[in-house]
Amino acid sequence: MRIKVDANKCSGCHLCEMVCSLSHLGIIHPERSAIRIQKDDLQTSLNTPWLCKQCKIMKCLDGEKDVPARERKKFIWSTQRAERCPFNGLNVFGEQAYHCDLCLGNPQCVKVCTSGALTLST
Amino acid sequence: MVLSRKIALINLTKESVRVSSIPLDLRRTFLGGRGINMYLLSKVYSKTLDPLSPQNPLIFGAGLLTGTLGFGSRINITAKSPESGYLGDSNMGGDFGAELVQAGFSHLVVTGKSQKPVYLLIRDNEIEFRDARSLMGLDTVETQRRIREELGDEKIKVASIGQAGENLVRFASIHTGMKNAAGRTGMGAVMGSKNLKAVAVRGTLGITISDPKHYLRYYLSEKKKLMETKWVQALGKYGTPILFQYSNTMGFLSVRNNQWTTIGDQGYALEAEALEPYTTGMLSCFGCPAHCRHRYSITEGRYKGARGEGPEYASLGSLGTKLGNLDLEHIIYAVDLCNRYGLDTISTGSYIAWAMELYQRGFLDQEQTGVPLHWGEGEAILELLHHIAHRKGFGKILSEGSFAKKQLGKGSEAYLLDIKNFPIEMTDERLSKSFALGMATSTRGACHMRSRPSLDVLGLPEEVLKKIYGGPVSNQLSSYAGKGRMVWWHELFNAVTDSLGFCRFLTIFSSPHAPSYRQFARLIKLATGLNLSVKELKTAGERIYTLERMMLIREGLSRKEDTLPKRYFDEPVPEGPAQGEVILREAFDQMLEENYRLHGWNKNGVPKKGTLRRLGLDNED
Repeated sequence: MRIKVDANKCSGCHLCEMVCSLSHLGIIHPERSAIRIQKDDLQTSLNTPWLCKQCKIMKCLDGEKDVPARERKKFIWSTQRAERCPFNGLNVFGEQAYHCDLCLGNPQCVKVCTSGALTLST
Repeated sequence: MVLSRKIALINLTKESVRVSSIPLDLRRTFLGGRGINMYLLSKVYSKTLDPLSPQNPLIFGAGLLTGTLGFGSRINITAKSPESGYLGDSNMGGDFGAELVQAGFSHLVVTGKSQKPVYLLIRDNEIEFRDARSLMGLDTVETQRRIREELGDEKIKVASIGQAGENLVRFASIHTGMKNAAGRTGMGAVMGSKNLKAVAVRGTLGITISDPKHYLRYYLSEKKKLMETKWVQALGKYGTPILFQYSNTMGFLSVRNNQWTTIGDQGYALEAEALEPYTTGMLSCFGCPAHCRHRYSITEGRYKGARGEGPEYASLGSLGTKLGNLDLEHIIYAVDLCNRYGLDTISTGSYIAWAMELYQRGFLDQEQTGVPLHWGEGEAILELLHHIAHRKGFGKILSEGSFAKKQLGKGSEAYLLDIKNFPIEMTDERLSKSFALGMATSTRGACHMRSRPSLDVLGLPEEVLKKIYGGPVSNQLSSYAGKGRMVWWHELFNAVTDSLGFCRFLTIFSSPHAPSYRQFARLIKLATGLNLSVKELKTAGERIYTLERMMLIREGLSRKEDTLPKRYFDEPVPEGPAQGEVILREAFDQMLEENYRLHGWNKNGVPKKGTLRRLGLDNED
């Protein structure tokens, strides 16, 4: 399972960021969400969601001994993994990175997205 | 927690900041946003307060739930208005309000005047004064871009003025993003008078939630219901231009300064479908599921390369039909120009329409105006926009707004359709009596956003209306019966939604199924832990509206100013579906008295002592 992104449809509402941090951490904190919206709000008005692509081969874990299947289910990751990700798929805030754990099967961001920018792909 | 967000008292003369917490009692009584702004403004508001003086406070106020999961995330900007000379207040969408809350503040009270151009930088509880000399003369969009560049942070949100605010155009607006505006009542001129070019905010504090699990569950269930309403579905597809079609078909559109109220079949050129070729997607304000805003791009023709956001119905009317201008591409371009200069599209259109009617009737000629002000003259409209923003030529006169009456000579005032020195908008209210009353009683002068009961156009069963409004209300748009009550109800309701940071479109406005007090109370409880009953929320609405009223009373305004332009009473709509509609003075007076009675005001529109006491506004007596 992964979350498919259609940037052209993203309305830039930030609801995904809000529910991500809220459901994982009990706080509304877009900086500490596994999904983030990059806005070009002064020029093209395009919004681009960034989040983990759920790669089969996890470059982000290169050099680590952790079990990938177990790591996939974790929300808080190290910043080193964010640096290794070739797709800019992790959000970094302070000393931590935030990784999409797919809400363990029920992604809240997909649920809250009304523009069709985020859909579930199995 | 949003309840821990602070008020910052910022003095630009002294470059000093004092931060204070918001007492829980103040939250309970005035909520936040517009409500607390009014509380703060009322402390210094007087008849002699000069709107462009350092003493006039420019108050930014995020709603109580702005930045959280709710029904909008908006901010009000409030001061004494240089446009009307009375109460000023404007509500703005976009991301700025939520960012301010994330940065630790709900309210900013800016007083004084900086010696040199300055902008404020607010980051996680810190406030800094920064040199804005290099930003002077820049438009609103370029100002935002430069500030982000200077600070090396593309996530910074900026509210800025353009050239119009710098030049103290009385109807200058404050902008964030490409088109979000605190448009009405000239808040941009107040900002300009303080030498304050912009306020930049960046917040990463996070907002703790009282009961996260139930809050999220409740929000998702209410959001689902909201998204199932036909209104929000249509809004998400067509945006506010869908309302243009409605007002044209019904005959309550402003055409050529309200000499007519429909353009009939010619309206196809400006309807929502006509915008589709230019639309490249739909956008949202922070935290909004409805995405009602168009993103557009013009790829060929005169305005090739233009791209941006909008236009909204209010601008389509104000810079379109009101000026006899039916060229959609021209309107899109003109709206963008206003957004960049920082000019309120509604007021700008209204003053140009006034000048055009004066031109039509021979009060003005081209020698005075510099450009031919024939209806629909696109090039002349653009030229005037440039001149107004820079206070040049005839634009210098128009930049004074309704204060230009003296300069334009005796008799000219009859053709400016204004209420409390503030011009009416993109609509004509002779057909809908509730709309008309709401314009007359609005506390910021002619304004549809203070109360417009859009439900009135739906012709809902009267038992449904009775249930909503708590008393009998006619379901006929042109009937006066019960409309005093209908307007009263929305005046209180809108004061509450503006104080919570919610949007008209996501609450009861055009759908009876949209969220109302019950949902608000539940969300407040789950988000903040604050117990506020439906009754307390309604009373807060009364308190806020009556306090606004008391500021007008201090000016010496009362019933005689709660009126409509002469044209509404004396000239029946000449043709179209609303043909013959006019406002009957006696029936209007009855609506007005019903409205006053429900507010607890006397027949002269002055709040009674008992009302003030009940609302805890005794010191206003």
